[in-house]
Amino acid sequence: MLGIENFFHIDQLTLIMMALVSFVGLSIASFSSRYLQGDTKRGTFYRNLIVLILNVFILSAADHILVLLFSWAFANYFLSKLMLHKPAWKAAQESSLLAQKNFLTGFIFLSAALCILCVNTGSFSIRHINNETIASHWAILSAALILLAAMTQSALWPFHRWLLSSLNSPTPVSAIMHAGLINGGGFILTRFAPIFFNEPFILDILFILGVVTALLGTLWKLMQSDVKRMLACSTMGQMGFMLAQCGLGLFPAAVAHLCWHGLFKAYLFLSSSSRAQEKRFDLDAPPSLKYFCSSLLCGLMGAYMFATVSEKVPLRLDTNLFLILLAAIAGTQFALSLLRSYSFVRFPFVLIATMLAGSLYGFSVESIERLLAPLDISRPQTFSALHIFTYFFLLSAWLAVVFSHQEKQNTYPSWVLKFYVRMLNASQAHSKTITANRNQYQS
Amino acid sequence: MEVKTHSPFAEQFEQKRKACDSYPLDQSIANSWSKIAPFWPLKNLIAVNPLAGFENLSFEDALKEGNAYFQQKDIPSEMEAINRESLKWLQVFFDEGQATIPMPIREQGFLQSTLSLLRYDTQIHQNDNKKIYWLETLPTSAEEIIREAFLFLGICSSDQELFLTLMLSTLPGWAAYIQYKINWSNQEQELSFNPVSHSDYLAFRLILTSLIWPEAKDLLTWHKKLRENIEIDATYQKILEHESQHQKQLLSNLNKENADKLREKTDAQLVFCIDVRSEPFRRALEAEGNYETFGFAGFFGMPISVTDLVTGESHDSCPVLIKPNYQVSESPVCSSKSAQNGQRRVQRIKKLYQSLKYTFTTPFSLVETMGVASGLWMALKCLSPKYATAIESRVRKLIQSDYMLSPNIDQIPLDQQVKLSAQALKSMGLNKKFAPLVVFCGHGSSTQNNAYATSLDCGACGGHHGAPNARVLAKILNSKPVRKALKKEGIVIPKDTFFLAAEHNTTTDEVEIYEEELSPAHTAHITFLKEDLEKARNTNTTWRNQTLGITAKPEKAKNLSLLRSQDWAQIRPEWGLAKNASFIVGPRWLTKGKNLGGRSFLHSYEWQEDLDGSILASILTAPMVVAQWINAQYLFSTLDNIAFGGGSKTTQNIVGKLGVMQGNASDLMSGLPLQSVYKNDLEAYHEPNRLNVLIHAPQSRIEQIIQEQSILQKLFGNGWVTLIAYPPSTNEAFILKRDFTWSKLH
Repeated sequence: MLGIENFFHIDQLTLIMMALVSFVGLSIASFSSRYLQGDTKRGTFYRNLIVLILNVFILSAADHILVLLFSWAFANYFLSKLMLHKPAWKAAQESSLLAQKNFLTGFIFLSAALCILCVNTGSFSIRHINNETIASHWAILSAALILLAAMTQSALWPFHRWLLSSLNSPTPVSAIMHAGLINGGGFILTRFAPIFFNEPFILDILFILGVVTALLGTLWKLMQSDVKRMLACSTMGQMGFMLAQCGLGLFPAAVAHLCWHGLFKAYLFLSSSSRAQEKRFDLDAPPSLKYFCSSLLCGLMGAYMFATVSEKVPLRLDTNLFLILLAAIAGTQFALSLLRSYSFVRFPFVLIATMLAGSLYGFSVESIERLLAPLDISRPQTFSALHIFTYFFLLSAWLAVVFSHQEKQNTYPSWVLKFYVRMLNASQAHSKTITANRNQYQS
Repeated sequence: MEVKTHSPFAEQFEQKRKACDSYPLDQSIANSWSKIAPFWPLKNLIAVNPLAGFENLSFEDALKEGNAYFQQKDIPSEMEAINRESLKWLQVFFDEGQATIPMPIREQGFLQSTLSLLRYDTQIHQNDNKKIYWLETLPTSAEEIIREAFLFLGICSSDQELFLTLMLSTLPGWAAYIQYKINWSNQEQELSFNPVSHSDYLAFRLILTSLIWPEAKDLLTWHKKLRENIEIDATYQKILEHESQHQKQLLSNLNKENADKLREKTDAQLVFCIDVRSEPFRRALEAEGNYETFGFAGFFGMPISVTDLVTGESHDSCPVLIKPNYQVSESPVCSSKSAQNGQRRVQRIKKLYQSLKYTFTTPFSLVETMGVASGLWMALKCLSPKYATAIESRVRKLIQSDYMLSPNIDQIPLDQQVKLSAQALKSMGLNKKFAPLVVFCGHGSSTQNNAYATSLDCGACGGHHGAPNARVLAKILNSKPVRKALKKEGIVIPKDTFFLAAEHNTTTDEVEIYEEELSPAHTAHITFLKEDLEKARNTNTTWRNQTLGITAKPEKAKNLSLLRSQDWAQIRPEWGLAKNASFIVGPRWLTKGKNLGGRSFLHSYEWQEDLDGSILASILTAPMVVAQWINAQYLFSTLDNIAFGGGSKTTQNIVGKLGVMQGNASDLMSGLPLQSVYKNDLEAYHEPNRLNVLIHAPQSRIEQIIQEQSILQKLFGNGWVTLIAYPPSTNEAFILKRDFTWSKLH
């Protein structure tokens, strides 16, 4: 009755999460062994890091909802402890407190959701809960609560403030956070994916919320003048995209995204001290029609390769098409930059390069999707008007950058200025987490 | 003051006006800014005395002023709110290329552009119509705005200077950066897209203050009150202790006479930078063979701006006190075309990556594609930085083959080449007895993932590597027309003497010699020299590892230092100029063979060769001043690493590609990071002391120079620098007191 199988169940998702966290954890532990040389809090850092990672292990292997809840809470608690590396620094205290409040909110949402599920199915086992069908209104309510919990955890709008205010943490803590627990939202959604499949309209809400965050996060990222907040805003946008992938019914794609993004972002955080030396190139002037169309052709071929390698069929007109069409945008941008650098004579080379890049992209996604196949959580939805509309929105945001004019403008319509100020204010860290008097900082 | 009779009706107004006249606003603005030392951006972190604005005061008084203005733990909470909003706008306005979508209308200047945007900043004016109206009806000129704000805040003119100073000193890092921008940056290059002026910034601060804290007059009371309990005695005593200890040590390390007098000819002469890191290396090299070494400012007297024709980038490669007179471009020795092609390939890859990263929609696909590769690369760099570096350089070589640069000295007119080189040779005391090989050895550091990388480079080269300057001087002195002209000036360079350029990597102690076509005789010499440089490297890295708390055998030590320079996680790649304490002006024999512990700047000087004292005067007014800047930076970064330093590297956040702030947002953290001056969080490595300048020359000559140079009177007279004379033939040292009399040093 009280055997371990009642509490834990190891599946492919568990293994992926464990592999991700131990890989990043090991890298960061090794990094910190030199980076925190001479730091009085090094011991505490390692202790908290180990406890955090163990809790993530338990979390990803949990089958009993109480195990899940407690490991969720503990992992987040230890993350907030890691964030407060130097306890005397007031702004860092506030950052940690803000994160704790956010995690507590998420914990309450998740507890409520699990409580409803538990009462309605009469079971504590996640596997069992996922297999049961419960009354629609309870299902909707619990799905909504899980969604809210995921949104707090992954810093989705409007729960993003704590993430943008979390940069008082030491660099390695930011790295483990952006590759680790921030992905908890994607994880919990994937764990309870069957509930969402039963209520498809909730998926559309996920999708819309995800895209809103993706756009806001990307816009803010482009506006930031400091490295770390730029990275935090970027993570926010990426989490939005992950949620949107869940909303498309493509949970394995979302898991692939959170893994690869986690590694990418952890690397960027660890190397953030070299950003002063990074030379930024000016955006190219708007391309001519000839260049754009040739790039588009390459982009479409790249997207075709992406679809082929990741075994997605465009003509089936399901939500996979959304990802393929996004790949086409990325492919076009890729080809456009290459065509700009090389002359038009090299068109065949650009075409092949784009197709290779598309294949690589497809391979990345496919590797995770195939691992997760036994869980049966990839259920593409019908490609609806909502998806078409959203796609054109994302497309036009990208086109706006490609065709934006290079020359500096001296006058702007007042709404542009107003919008700029509004977005700038929205993307600031919480005022209490800012060190407004430098002598309040404590190293 | 003049007294005039007025009708009683206008008396009150007139009094106010008169008060205004006695405190002209532009004077107050200038006075408030004069207290702010500049702060250089990360691309060339030049060391400065953070209290340079108080050098006209005695050292003790300056410590008190520094405490009152910059070291206050608690400032009024309303002032913190003003700072938060200031930070937001300062960050986006001064951004040097971090944001893809920069702040609009920056070309209009700091005040104009922020003022236009403040109208929409509901976080500041809270949609209060009165405040919006006030903002919209402000005058356009900065001075007028300042007057208006004073009127609004009720600041009377006798307090205006103090109030303006407090507007700067409550956010000192950014004020220091703006001071740099206005007074020291290359105006055409750096101020074109975001112009700013002294009064602009003050007007901006006053606008925010008026909007957020109408009772800001209280700031004056706050400041005046805190002045009553400022205590600096303990700090000052600590400094004095370290200084007297060092002075004793220094005296015991002086040789009484020249032991090398009889030596006729040396195998090679090497000229190093005065940088304190040169001393232990020179000592190690001298122990290996028949070498003579010299110390001279690492720009080798070449006031040049260098352009790398491969990358197309250029920079001023001379002390910031000097404006470069000549543009020198360097091109690859081999094929210029292949180097440029390689460079273009690298740029294309970077550009491709950036075009996918800094836009909408495509970053989602980018991270999914790059995830595996960046994860593996991260793990490799963490677990084995050595192999990661090996792979990186392999890949880099595939894309871009290595090349060596050579300067085009024809860009300096021949007569100037002669003048500059003659001056340099005379000043370094190398104008006769030339060895077959003469090496000018610049220096630079190599570190990874280090925002403060340039603070480890050559200060005399404006925070850059010193190799280009060394190459220019070597090439000039190898040119036949120059040698011919030098002969006329009495500098006879033997035919078989060859000048070479080199660079000392201070992180790894590797010396790279830039070889050009050599005669067989020189090739033999150079082979031996290289071997000895390698031995010196072993000796020096062994010692340097000890200073980092690591005991290693010589053959291992070299690799450990190399690893530090390759490791992206390394927080203390090298100690830089930490522990610097003295500046010794004299011949090498004075300290030869003595272990000075890498704490001394060594400047070669032969008093007999400098009859009119002009060489000594230029040493004391240029390199010594730079050394004092460096010394003061280390001193204050150690005394209070938060107010005058950069804080810990672990929580730093690079802002606008120009500086570092702590965490989410903070003032620009000017000064050196904790890890540059502290062994660990609690224990300092650098010993706080002021620069001790020891000069091997007759006292009368020193006195005469001080009389002529006001800057020296300021530095010695106010106790910023301690001068010790070690006159020839006395074997006694004399310390210069603040009243410019001498007392014997025991």
